[in-house]
Amino acid sequence: MTASAPDPSVAPARPDDAAGLRCRGLTTGYRGTPVLRDVSFAIDEPAVYVVLGPNGAGKTTLFRALAGILRPYAGEVLVGGTSIEHQGARDRLHYLSHMDGIPDGLRVREALEFYARVERADAADIERVLDLLEIRGLAGQFISQLSAGQRKRVSIARVFLRERAIYLLDEPTANLDPKVAREIRTLILELSREKIVLYSSHNLYEAREIGRYVLAVKEGRLTVFDRIENLRGARYVVGVRALEPSAALAGFRREGAYYLRELGGPEEVPALLRELEAAGVRVRELREMNNPLEDLFA
Amino acid sequence: MPRGYGAASHMEDDAPAGGPLSLLGATVRRSIVMGRTYLILATALAVLIGSTLSLAGGGTAAAVLPLFLPVFTVQGSLGAMMVFSNDRTKGVLEYLMAYGVPPRRIFGNAIVASLALVSIVLAASVGAVLGELAFRGRGPSLTLIRLLLGYAIPMSYATVAFAATAGMVWASLSSPRTGINSPVGLLPILGIAPPLATLVAFAAVPADAGYVLAGALGLIGAGVLAMIAGVDRLMARERLLSPA
Repeated sequence: MTASAPDPSVAPARPDDAAGLRCRGLTTGYRGTPVLRDVSFAIDEPAVYVVLGPNGAGKTTLFRALAGILRPYAGEVLVGGTSIEHQGARDRLHYLSHMDGIPDGLRVREALEFYARVERADAADIERVLDLLEIRGLAGQFISQLSAGQRKRVSIARVFLRERAIYLLDEPTANLDPKVAREIRTLILELSREKIVLYSSHNLYEAREIGRYVLAVKEGRLTVFDRIENLRGARYVVGVRALEPSAALAGFRREGAYYLRELGGPEEVPALLRELEAAGVRVRELREMNNPLEDLFA
Repeated sequence: MPRGYGAASHMEDDAPAGGPLSLLGATVRRSIVMGRTYLILATALAVLIGSTLSLAGGGTAAAVLPLFLPVFTVQGSLGAMMVFSNDRTKGVLEYLMAYGVPPRRIFGNAIVASLALVSIVLAASVGAVLGELAFRGRGPSLTLIRLLLGYAIPMSYATVAFAATAGMVWASLSSPRTGINSPVGLLPILGIAPPLATLVAFAAVPADAGYVLAGALGLIGAGVLAMIAGVDRLMARERLLSPA
C-alpha cells in the first residue's frame, strides 16, 4: 500500500487522541526550509514501526520533530493527546538520536548518573541497566576510552533507565557488531510488546526481522505506512542452491552460489520445486532473494 | 552507592549533598576534565609570572600581574567551551533538549562553568603571589590590591562571560561548527579583546581610571545581558543540533 495520508485500518486508532502518537499535517525543517512536508499518521498499537528511507529523505528530521526538538512550521505532534511542546508529552517518550549523545569527560557510571538526573531515574535503575546492557565492566572507564560499539551500548542503556510509552530510536544498532546488534534487537522486540517503538535503520533485513509496520519516507513525505507483511515487492525472486551442477539450471540467472528465478509470488514456489525435481535437480536450499523493503528505496 | 534521584526535577539544579552531580555540577566537572591542559597551563603561567615578579621586585613589581591576569583566565576557561562544542557535535545538547532542558539553561550552565574555571586560575595565581610576599614577610602593595580588586578580578569574570556568551552565539549562527569557527577557536580572540581595549582606553581616554573601568565593565555586562536576553531567538533549538 502506498499512502500519503494515514490509513486508520493499518494502525487502528482509538476513539480519542488520549493514547499513542499522532502526527497531523506535519511540515518542518531547518532555518525555514521544509524538509518534511504534510506528514500524517496515527500510532496506538504497541509494536516496532520501522522508519525507512534513503539518505536525506527526512528520517532524522521526522524523529527530531516527534521528539519536540524541531518546531512544526505547520501541523502538530501529539503524544497522549498533548502537544509535544508540553513537558507532559515529552515525559512520555524516549529519544535516542543517531549520535551517541554521551557526555565526554565522565566515566560510564557518571554518564548514566547524568542521564538519570535528566530523566528522573534512580540509582537502582542505573544498576539494572549496567547489567541489562552488560556494561558493568565498563562502569569505571572514561567515555573517551570506549570503542564506538561500547559507546553505543552506553547510549542505548539510557533509554532503559525509565519506562516510557513511546521510544524513538534513530539507528540504534549502527556501529554494533552483529552479536550485540542482535541482543539489542531482542531487547527492543521485548520492549515493543507493551510500548510503541519507532526504529530507523538502513539495514533492510534487520528492519524486516524486527518491524511489524513500516513507515517509508521519501523526499520529505510519508509514502508508505503499512504492515510489513502486506508489502509485496515489485518482483519476487527466489534463489536455488543445488547439490551439484545441472543442465536444468542453465536458464537461471546466476548470483554467487544461487540460481535465480523470478516468480509471480510465494504461491508459485511449490510448482518451481516440482519442476526442479522433475528435471533431476537436487535442491540443497531455496530462499527468497529480494526483500520487499528494498523496493521502498527505488 | 549514589543516592536515589527520584525527587530531583530536571528543571531544578540543586543536587542533594552526597548525591549525583547536578547538570551544572556535571558541566563544571567536565569542563575541568576536558580543558585541564588549558587550565593547568594558564594557571601555571600566571603563577610563574606572578611569583617571578614578586621575587624580583616585591609588591611593586607584582602589581604588573593583574594587567596580564584576564589573558590567563580566558585561556584557562576554554574547557567550558570545549564541553559546549563537544556536546553539540556529539548530540548531547540534542538529547537534553528532547528531555525538556531549554537552550537558555544549557547556555547558562556553560557560562557558569566558565566562571568557575576563572575562579580556579584567579585563586591559584593571586594566592601564589600573596603567599610569596607573605613568605618573604612583605605585604601586598596598595597598587597591587587596587589593580586586583579594581581591574583584574572583575575584568576576568566579565571578559570570560562575554567571550563564552559571544562564542556560543557565534557558533550557533554559523554553519561550520568545528575548528576556528567553534567557540573554542573564537574564545581566545573574543576574550582578550575587552581587557586589551580597556588598557588602551586607560592610556588614551583623559578620564579617571575608575570611570574608564566602570564604563568598560558596563559595556561588557550590557553585551552579555543583551545576548542572554536574546538567547531564545538566537539559540533556536535547531541551532544546537548535531549534523543530520
